[in-house]
Amino acid sequence: MARYEADVVVIGGGITAAMVAEKLAELRPSWSVIVVEAGKRVFDNEKRFEYRKRNLDYGEHIWPGDYITDQAARGVISRAMAVGGSALHWGGVCNRFSEEDTRLRSLYGLAVDWPIEWRDLEKFYCEAERRVGVSGEASPLPEDWRSEPYPMPAMPMTYNLLQIKSWGEQSGVKFWTTPQAKNTVAGYGGRNICLRCNTCEICPTGARYSPDWTFKRLLAEKKIQLHDQTLVRKLVLDDKTTRIAAAQAAREDGSDNDVEYRARTFVLASGYCWSPHLLLLSANSRFPAGLANSSDHVGRYMTGHLAYQTTIDVNLKLYPGMNEQHSLISRQFFRCRTDQPYVRHDLRLWESAGGRGPQLRDAAGKLLLGDELIADWRNRTTRGTVRVRGYFDVHPDKDSRLTLDSATKNRWGDALPAIRHQVDAATRSRDAQTREHFQTLFASLAKAGDGRMGGMNALNYQDHPGGGCRMGTDPATSVVNSFGRTHDHENLFVVGSPTIPTGGCTNGTLTFVALALRSTAEIAKN
Amino acid sequence: MLESQKHMNRRTWLWSFVTALLAAPLRRLRAFARVQAPALASADVATLESIAEIVLPSDLGVDGRKRVVVAFVTWIKDYKEGADRGYGYGASTLSAPAGPSPAGRYPDQLAAFEATARSKGAASFAALPADVRRAQIEASLGSMPGGARLPARPTGANLIADLMGFYFNSADAWNLAYRARIDRDSCRALAGSEQPPAPLGSP
Repeated sequence: MARYEADVVVIGGGITAAMVAEKLAELRPSWSVIVVEAGKRVFDNEKRFEYRKRNLDYGEHIWPGDYITDQAARGVISRAMAVGGSALHWGGVCNRFSEEDTRLRSLYGLAVDWPIEWRDLEKFYCEAERRVGVSGEASPLPEDWRSEPYPMPAMPMTYNLLQIKSWGEQSGVKFWTTPQAKNTVAGYGGRNICLRCNTCEICPTGARYSPDWTFKRLLAEKKIQLHDQTLVRKLVLDDKTTRIAAAQAAREDGSDNDVEYRARTFVLASGYCWSPHLLLLSANSRFPAGLANSSDHVGRYMTGHLAYQTTIDVNLKLYPGMNEQHSLISRQFFRCRTDQPYVRHDLRLWESAGGRGPQLRDAAGKLLLGDELIADWRNRTTRGTVRVRGYFDVHPDKDSRLTLDSATKNRWGDALPAIRHQVDAATRSRDAQTREHFQTLFASLAKAGDGRMGGMNALNYQDHPGGGCRMGTDPATSVVNSFGRTHDHENLFVVGSPTIPTGGCTNGTLTFVALALRSTAEIAKN
Repeated sequence: MLESQKHMNRRTWLWSFVTALLAAPLRRLRAFARVQAPALASADVATLESIAEIVLPSDLGVDGRKRVVVAFVTWIKDYKEGADRGYGYGASTLSAPAGPSPAGRYPDQLAAFEATARSKGAASFAALPADVRRAQIEASLGSMPGGARLPARPTGANLIADLMGFYFNSADAWNLAYRARIDRDSCRALAGSEQPPAPLGSP
């Protein structure tokens, strides 16, 4: 058996773990910090062009080896399990939630309020933007005030986005560029400037933030230890108190099935799936429903957001493929008047190649070869396609759950998680009005810009998921306090996405990071 | 060469071609069982070039079409059976690994072309007149199930569609269709983002 001791053990190696480790190393340089990650380190920057090429040419996996075959969960939306976690694949979008997300009960009588003041959270958004290196332009809406400018100038709009912005704003909706964790300045965070390679899920130039940047630097500076390929299977309670005494782990390569970590503080930074999963797996005689679960809220209120999307055929000459992951956003619909039917959402526009590609047959079904095919194709390039999507706010039911699936086990016999999202009754009652809202909005965008709207479809999973260890002031209805400290165990913190009570209506990563940084400030006080 | 073969009518040779295609599945199954897919022979390359002459844009010219065929053959050579295809976002399951090389299904199709050419009295498919080759190509593509979509990557199901998909989904084809240097998926500086792509042919 291998035994390790540290001041802080961070369980998980994704973006929130990277942020916790980095900030702790700054605030408490004398503390020893061990980060324990089940997956491998994928630190092979030099191979990213090769991975990208194989993916573009052959559809091969873009991050080879970034998952564990038998460590899967039903209902999880990404199998990523590696140092860097899901943020290895991240598109880099760094939208903030809005104050309304934290005051749903007060403002609308819906769901719950977060136990955080917006003004407090906003400071940590700024810190998150500095740490991951965000380029962006400020929202023109005064409600979206920010106390600091973005660390880097916004990614310039492409020719296509400039056309699309003019087109979209004919509807009266203002659009601006989406903030992103991509360098528009060479050297920020040691990263290169973006070369708009069009494959942000694997950034071959290293312009987009991914947590391996942080871990590599911390390791080079000997600020932390990183134990990868080590799966923490159980947290063990101190015999006499409710403190966590140890984390028991196993090496993925089978070299040691009995690794133990002891620490003053344990930080669970394993995301919305594996954090509640570990707590449930760690049940014992004193906490038979799982650690931190005296409230029976671990694995409940699993949340995220849904979306409606469409494409609009527009009278614009666009050239898809030059930086097509860059997009426009409007935050105009983040707010909803309290005397109006409730619907809150973001609104995004992208260039799209949809309907503009080569076709083997023309509209009449005639087979096309050679020059005929090109001629038919050219006819379809005279107009453009805009992709439109709105993530909308939905609220979780208490029975929106992550549970242990005893029928599915990993190689060590641990039951694996199953997630089943379920929205609350109020959300369900709004289904028809929400759909109608988007139908009307998308149609008005199309009409104002002389476009033709395609079919509207709904996302069939909750994106940017969170929850499972929701924060709150009442230990009877929440798992952690606003800093992520579990109500039941004073030296156990859960950070990032699992702690959010509701999933907002835009990409969540920056919020998860901001919350984790706020937690870290508290952890460092202990 | 028999005189009767020379004068086989169009319907007859089309039938023979379709019959050859229908006979292919068993041979394809055998091909699947091979661990290493066969490389395309030089005669196959000549056939591909003669197909390319019909199915690729004339703007490419002879040399351009040859380059496409070389790139296609290289793609086939570098295909990795069993390669990890990872997982998609939004799904909890892993994608199936890459299947057998598409090349395993080509010999039978190429043989069918050649057999039909011989039945037409030609020494090879490449030796057939362009209009006859075109008719045979149309028959092959016409027998494909599905709609207007070209395969995103070669699958082996239809060699001609694979070659067409390989080229028409390429950055070069997009440039040609748009008559602009979009250069899809190329890395380039942020400066100049606001400009449309340069016209095709510009330096």
